[in-house]
Amino acid sequence: MTRRGDLISRLASLHWFLLLTVLVLATMGVAVLFSAGWSPFDPTTNGARINADLAINHGVRFLLFLMIALAAALVPLRIWASLAFPAYFIGVILLIGVDLFGVVVKGERWLQLGPIRIQPSELMKLAVPLALARYYHQMWEARRRGFWIHVWALAIVMIPTVLVLRQPDLGTALMILGTGCAVIFFAGINLYVVAGVIALLIASAPLVYFFGLHDYQRERVNTMFNPEADPLGTGYQLQQALIAIGSGGAGGKGYMEGSQKQLDYIPEQHTDFIFTIIAEEFGFAGSMTVLVIWALVLVQGLSIASRSASRFGALAAAGFTSTLFLYVGINIGMVIGLLPVVGIPLPLISYGGTVMMTVMIGFGLLMAIHIDRDEQMALRGIL
Amino acid sequence: MSKDWPPEFRSRRAIFSAVGGLVFVGLSTRLAELQLFRSAEFREEAEEVQIRLDPAPAPRGVIYDRTGKILAGSKRNFYVTIRPERAASTQAIEATLERLSEIVPISDGRRKSILRDAASKAGFLDILVADDLTWEQFSQVNVLAPELDNSDFLAPVNAEVGELRSYPFLGAFYHTVGYVQKANERDIERVIEEELKLSSIPKDSPDAAAIARQARRLYKHPQMRVGKQGLEYYAETALKGTAGATRAKFNASGRLIAKLDNEGYKPKPGQNQVLTLDAHLQTYAINRFGGEAGSAVMIDVATGEVVMMVSTPSPDPNEFVSGISQTSYDALRNDEKNPLYHKAYDGTYPPGSTFKTIVAAAALESGAMSPDERIRCSGKAWYYTRYYNCWRPQGHGMMNMHDGLKHSCDCYFYACAQRTGIEAIADMAKRFGLGHRYELGITGGRSGIVGNNDWKMKTYNERWYDGDTISAGIGQGYMTASPFQLAVMCARIAGGGTTPPPRLVASGVSVPDPTVIDLGDLKPETLDIVRGGMHGVTSEAGGTAYYYLNGGQVDPNGELPAPYTGCNMAGKSGTAQVRVITAAERDSRGRAISNDKLPWKLRDHAWFIAFAPYDKPRYAVSVLLEHGVSGSGAAAPIARDLLHEALKYDTGAKSPFVPKSGEVASSTPPTEAT
Repeated sequence: MTRRGDLISRLASLHWFLLLTVLVLATMGVAVLFSAGWSPFDPTTNGARINADLAINHGVRFLLFLMIALAAALVPLRIWASLAFPAYFIGVILLIGVDLFGVVVKGERWLQLGPIRIQPSELMKLAVPLALARYYHQMWEARRRGFWIHVWALAIVMIPTVLVLRQPDLGTALMILGTGCAVIFFAGINLYVVAGVIALLIASAPLVYFFGLHDYQRERVNTMFNPEADPLGTGYQLQQALIAIGSGGAGGKGYMEGSQKQLDYIPEQHTDFIFTIIAEEFGFAGSMTVLVIWALVLVQGLSIASRSASRFGALAAAGFTSTLFLYVGINIGMVIGLLPVVGIPLPLISYGGTVMMTVMIGFGLLMAIHIDRDEQMALRGIL
Repeated sequence: MSKDWPPEFRSRRAIFSAVGGLVFVGLSTRLAELQLFRSAEFREEAEEVQIRLDPAPAPRGVIYDRTGKILAGSKRNFYVTIRPERAASTQAIEATLERLSEIVPISDGRRKSILRDAASKAGFLDILVADDLTWEQFSQVNVLAPELDNSDFLAPVNAEVGELRSYPFLGAFYHTVGYVQKANERDIERVIEEELKLSSIPKDSPDAAAIARQARRLYKHPQMRVGKQGLEYYAETALKGTAGATRAKFNASGRLIAKLDNEGYKPKPGQNQVLTLDAHLQTYAINRFGGEAGSAVMIDVATGEVVMMVSTPSPDPNEFVSGISQTSYDALRNDEKNPLYHKAYDGTYPPGSTFKTIVAAAALESGAMSPDERIRCSGKAWYYTRYYNCWRPQGHGMMNMHDGLKHSCDCYFYACAQRTGIEAIADMAKRFGLGHRYELGITGGRSGIVGNNDWKMKTYNERWYDGDTISAGIGQGYMTASPFQLAVMCARIAGGGTTPPPRLVASGVSVPDPTVIDLGDLKPETLDIVRGGMHGVTSEAGGTAYYYLNGGQVDPNGELPAPYTGCNMAGKSGTAQVRVITAAERDSRGRAISNDKLPWKLRDHAWFIAFAPYDKPRYAVSVLLEHGVSGSGAAAPIARDLLHEALKYDTGAKSPFVPKSGEVASSTPPTEAT
């Protein structure tokens, strides 16, 4: 096996198919955001309103992060591995900083460091699977097996989860927890334990519902089961989303023809509810296309994971694939009324810089794992 | 490739892929459901949301008097509303109200209720800020409106022209026609319940939910009012008509994009109502009372139609329509003359000596007393355990029934009552219309009390004592009746069995009163004797009211048209004691302390019931003057003047006005409720 050490050969062995699917999804995002910015009637001007800012920002942001992703892909996997623990520790320290000195902006706490305001919880979405992958990698090399290594792994997951939950950011906390658990699952925890935990979760769901949730969170759960009950309150958004999606029909109303969008009925439509525009304007065909392309991305992620020779690479790839899976599954599930409304965007398509950054760096990681798929790393210590 | 290390990895990947596949199938299935199978349903809904149908109140049914004068109509109303956009914050609305209050005064209570409504944003309907604006205020708001519209920190307002209920006769019909006001939750609940009952839709059906939703939205409309009292309340579902709708395009924040035509959504006006009352007589009566607290009810003896029903003093219902100020309302509520109280229908008082007519009729019918038998009155009489006093301490001497009525001799009626017994008296009282709440189609109404053994056992768990019967003989003790009931009683004395049950609504809503008791058959001479006695009261020297009525002349100056020229009246006075006269209050000669020396609130109420002409009765009237002391002195002249005015125009002889529009359904209840 050849070592792909130099930049040119690394570039040449990029995962072009994955790159293509990512490009297609981001292009769809630009197109849909352009549609979202267009309205045939705007009362302030009494004419049509064209707002291409969303689309342009999205496109520019994508290209910028695509460069970063490609650069990340060229970083040898060994360096990724040595960044795993430091990134995790810095992330946890910053999260503690948020907890202690955070400033509240838009309902969540941010850390103000001079002129920049940062949200370390986003970093943890990548740092947690990386740290876990490295942890398991070293455990494997040390020939340590058994139940207890998974308990320590869970601690690695729970520390940032609890800290993020305190911000309070339920959506991100669930993402971190879900990703972490997926890595533990891939690392080979006993399936009986998995089954036991799932059974316990199901059994305790009512308890969580009645005692563990904030009132507004409980409202959202209720809304999911009966959006018509309060069409002007919590159910409003979901109800409008369902109307937009359902009225799209099989073939959709046509690009830029979505009337629900045009009347601004759906709040957050360019972010968390972007899928409604696709579903309305391109119908069942359009929504299934998005679903299938995302499925292809996830399949690629899994195949990269299983082809990686190093345990670190396999688990990191599987972890990031799980993150993407959670993003897509939760976002679409929530928009079509199968899950309660939590603030989770649809990566690459939804407008917003944070998720774009996380996901694109993640793709960089995925491609780095792909390039260095044959490298069996000997990792020791922290770095 | 060395793949020895992850022994479990393959199986984990398979499980993960299976879960992923399941999620994929789940999402696809749901998408197929929404976009393929239920698409039509959502497409319809998408259509609805863009074009909003807002309820448009129908013109409220007009209420006429019997001569066709409008008692409750509408006037032009300039009003201003605020639009609770989804985007508008409480601060924005507060700031907007601040700006508006420079033009129109907005009370603190109103401000609070606007903010509350805005917070609930019920259906994004405009919220009324103020109405009944002057033209100047209206144009100032119009100038301000575009500025608010374009501001991000203020909420948009609308100055509009609509209609507002108005009551041209001011206080004359406050208690009967009533008034309308903005609806509260209770009102809306009541209307919904009534509509469901009328259309016999089960309460928990989806149709019922739709009706409730529509009613809720309709009654939140800034122009919509609900009947709060009187006929306005009783006939609410008929008066309000069938609401239409306005169609308009709105965006998500509630800003109007375009108004659309409302073809096919035109409202259907409410059903007009005609009362049997005569606005002229009504106004005359209120003026005749001259600010004194009292009540008068007049009934057409031939038709049973109530041509006059007043309760004084009477507030102006127009003040209530746009929301009466707390200070004005408190002033009305704390007024010792009780203007808010419908004395004619809700007020029950001891009938006093007017009840002697019933005792006489009962005694004659039961045969307990022959009309010519003479009873000796010495000023007091001993029954069972104590003396019962006659109002005339020196006594009346020998009294037959005619004289007993004419002089209102208490001793005579003590004897009558004792011989007749309470059960026969109570039965007779009910046949003459006491003890029953008449359904007239207005709010309120009380049955009063016709006491007997059963009633007393039920109410006090105590048997009827013989002494109670003696008191009942002169209309004191437990007996109570409203001025309205005494008018019915008087009409039945005057007209006998030919007088139909009383009616207030000539056409419009149906007013069923299935439990009304008829007079039934009496011996032919019974009513003649009672009427004769009442004639004696007014028209024979020595009659209690003779002196005050100039011999019972209704028409001393010959002003009345034929056949009423120079006619006479017959009547009976009564005194309703406000307090119990204790022995200590009587002076050495057994006389009670003169009323003149008592504070107004403690003086006796004065009654007079009368009908005219005596020989061929047309109208029967009852007059109550609160704390008026003397029935003959104070109430009788009012009764005479009211009868004079009624006979002068005799509007009761003409059948009530029929409105032109085809809206008046004869007597069936309105069923077009939606």
